[in-house]
Amino acid sequence: MNMLFFRSEEALNQWLASKHTERGAVLSIPQLWELSERWYHNRLSPEYHGRTMEQVQEIFKEVALTSSFWVA
Amino acid sequence: MDDNRIWEMRAFIYRYAAETTRPPSLEESASYFALTHEQAALAYEELHRRHALFLKPGTHEILMANPFSGVETPFKVHANGKTYFANCAWDSLGIPAALHADAEIGAACAQSGEPIDLRVTSERVQESNALVHFLLPFREWYNDLIST
Repeated sequence: MNMLFFRSEEALNQWLASKHTERGAVLSIPQLWELSERWYHNRLSPEYHGRTMEQVQEIFKEVALTSSFWVA
Repeated sequence: MDDNRIWEMRAFIYRYAAETTRPPSLEESASYFALTHEQAALAYEELHRRHALFLKPGTHEILMANPFSGVETPFKVHANGKTYFANCAWDSLGIPAALHADAEIGAACAQSGEPIDLRVTSERVQESNALVHFLLPFREWYNDLIST
């Protein structure tokens, strides 16, 4: 489970150091909400049958997640 | 089983999770659709193959029907008078987004263990200084969903 909450940048940096792990991508709570709305708003619809890689990339673009981290 | 029935099964699983907070067991799904255990198992396996849900390895128990978790996790979401469990930080906001419901989210800082409480009201999230860290890049998400 590696999409985790942190209280602050300092807490995140301490965690990365303790795990000897490189920093991935960091989102603010409003950014995460924007992503969640786009990703999950139709998840309960019977019409939802998954999405293509192109649709996924479009969602990332809409919320300004454009670095190589978000590329398929 | 035809494609329509596979997607009807997916819709049932999500409706069930939204109503009860957890995905249905194989027996519950088989009973709803009047299927044999084997037929329902094949449908679950096909939905797993299509990334529509994720089965606990070696079983037909639904571990994740994102954003809903089939097991208790440290990401609690209180919405519609119920307590749901999310799979991760992202899915804890995914649940109110999927339900289109107000929610209170109870989680903790992965480093300090201090509580992180978030609130979604009228499809807006309350301001917070908390951060979310995604460890793995998108291209690796489907290699191992448990670690993602």
